[in-house]
Amino acid sequence: MVLKLVGSFPVQPDRVWCAAPHPHLPLVATASTDRAVRIYSLRDFSLVSTIEGGHKRSIRSLSWKPNAKGESVLATGSFDSSTGIWHRDERGAHGDGEQQPESNSEEREEEEEWRFAVVLDGHDSEVKSVAWSAGGSFLATCSRDKTVWIWEDMGNENYETIAVLQDHTQDVKMVAWHPEEELLASSSYDDTVRLYKEDTDDWVCCAVLTGHTSTVWSISFENNGHQSRLVSASDDQTARVWCRKPKVGEESPSQPPSIIKGATDETENWEEQSVLPKIHTRTIYSVDWSKKTGLIATAGGDGQIVVYKEVDVTRDGEPSEFGSEQSKEWEIIAQVPAAHGVYEINSVNWCPKWDKQGTKVDGELLLSTGDDGIVNIFELNL
Amino acid sequence: MSDIINANPTILNPSDLPTRQSESRKKQSSSAHIADKISRLPTSKALLYDPFSASLGEDSAYGSGASDQDDDDEDESAPEDIDEQEIYDLISTISDPEHPLSLGELAVINLPHIHVTHAPATPENPYPMSHVLVEITPTINHCSLATVIGLGVRVRLEQALPPRFRIDVRIREGTHQSTDQVNKQLNDKERVAAACENETLMGVLSNMLATCK
Repeated sequence: MVLKLVGSFPVQPDRVWCAAPHPHLPLVATASTDRAVRIYSLRDFSLVSTIEGGHKRSIRSLSWKPNAKGESVLATGSFDSSTGIWHRDERGAHGDGEQQPESNSEEREEEEEWRFAVVLDGHDSEVKSVAWSAGGSFLATCSRDKTVWIWEDMGNENYETIAVLQDHTQDVKMVAWHPEEELLASSSYDDTVRLYKEDTDDWVCCAVLTGHTSTVWSISFENNGHQSRLVSASDDQTARVWCRKPKVGEESPSQPPSIIKGATDETENWEEQSVLPKIHTRTIYSVDWSKKTGLIATAGGDGQIVVYKEVDVTRDGEPSEFGSEQSKEWEIIAQVPAAHGVYEINSVNWCPKWDKQGTKVDGELLLSTGDDGIVNIFELNL
Repeated sequence: MSDIINANPTILNPSDLPTRQSESRKKQSSSAHIADKISRLPTSKALLYDPFSASLGEDSAYGSGASDQDDDDEDESAPEDIDEQEIYDLISTISDPEHPLSLGELAVINLPHIHVTHAPATPENPYPMSHVLVEITPTINHCSLATVIGLGVRVRLEQALPPRFRIDVRIREGTHQSTDQVNKQLNDKERVAAACENETLMGVLSNMLATCK
């Protein structure tokens, strides 16, 4: 399989830290060292808006709120220690999805439509990552101040801090929510990944994943029904897959795990399942588990993008480790060296593919952002 | 910074410092002398692409000596132009944050502790990367300024070297009580990026870098 470069967004003046596809429109937002958020169209890869003025330092991370009704809501985390919430009304005739690919004057209007609505203060130092929960009711933020905060959206642009989690012993690099459950994961400079959930009234750490030997930069959950897995990527140049084990005493492992059932016992049992084939030669800065195809992509300081697929392996005559007929294994199915020339890659993200008219089509794209200020768009050709 | 952390550092005579130019008349300090001599050996092109270049972190001072032409051209087509001596020249002139002396004079930066490797271009990867590892020797083993010095070295190299360079700055093994901690911090891209937006810190760094040619 070949990961083919199908386009790039217009180049930015400074390092691009990350990119996030809109939950239902053909748009991508990017966060940059130059303190601007840029919004691009996935129909023609053009720049739609540049949003500036909200943050005093680099914007490190951003996240679109899922299920925002009639508007787009974007959260941004910045080195200025604050988190910003931006709104744009989508009820007019300008839903970028369906409408005409219009003129410059309209683009200027669109820029003005973005409103810096709320500033969430609280962290003592740089905010490294922000993430909305799947239902959109919670926003998690994390910082060099070693804490993870959970904010609840109370409506009318009111946000309440409902948890300040201080379990990590060093900078917290990234936060990510489970695609269905209200289960939060964070990864840290202390080499661990931690998981949190609500226990009666309090959010508590319910699992610690240890195994990496250096900073864990990035984490991503799998979206696969009742099975819960997470992939983590580290400065130790490895990416690892972790799996939730059914609780002892739980009736049947085939039954979907219920968080209500677990409410009396806050611990979860997570185990390292596999290490992805080692190929990176520098820090892996980003990992993303496709919610659509189940493929995993990684990228990092060595400038490579790598795509992995889980395959069934049957070992002839060899007894399988777990006594089952077959076992699964991750293999590399595509690899792009120097995906941003000589520059480092800061993030990779899977995102839906759209046609010029703004209709979602089959297939999936992979976005990568680099120190060269470029966002590249790749497609996996079978 | 009112309390001086190391009031009596050992200072090298400027004329003892390794240099590529006018080497003949200088008395060299022993270790720098040898390394400097080696780095000036004529090197064939073949040697530049030897297996040493793949093993990052190896003591490759001997593997990647340089062509003798000393031009400042940092053109991407000529990666062999940048060698240990050139890296030394870039960073040894940085001023110490508490003494009016350079990092070269204080032997914080030493030529034998700089390692440069260049990956060869291959059909699969037309954009080969280069790697520089600088090991810093703090003047005393509890020097709280080690991080600032390391950051100064990193910032100087990031500004001066072409983007194909991957830079690792470490405290030399056994010369500081919290080596691992400082190393991790110095090589965390995000922390370095955030530090570079800290005006107070950048003020200190720009004073340190003001003495660089």
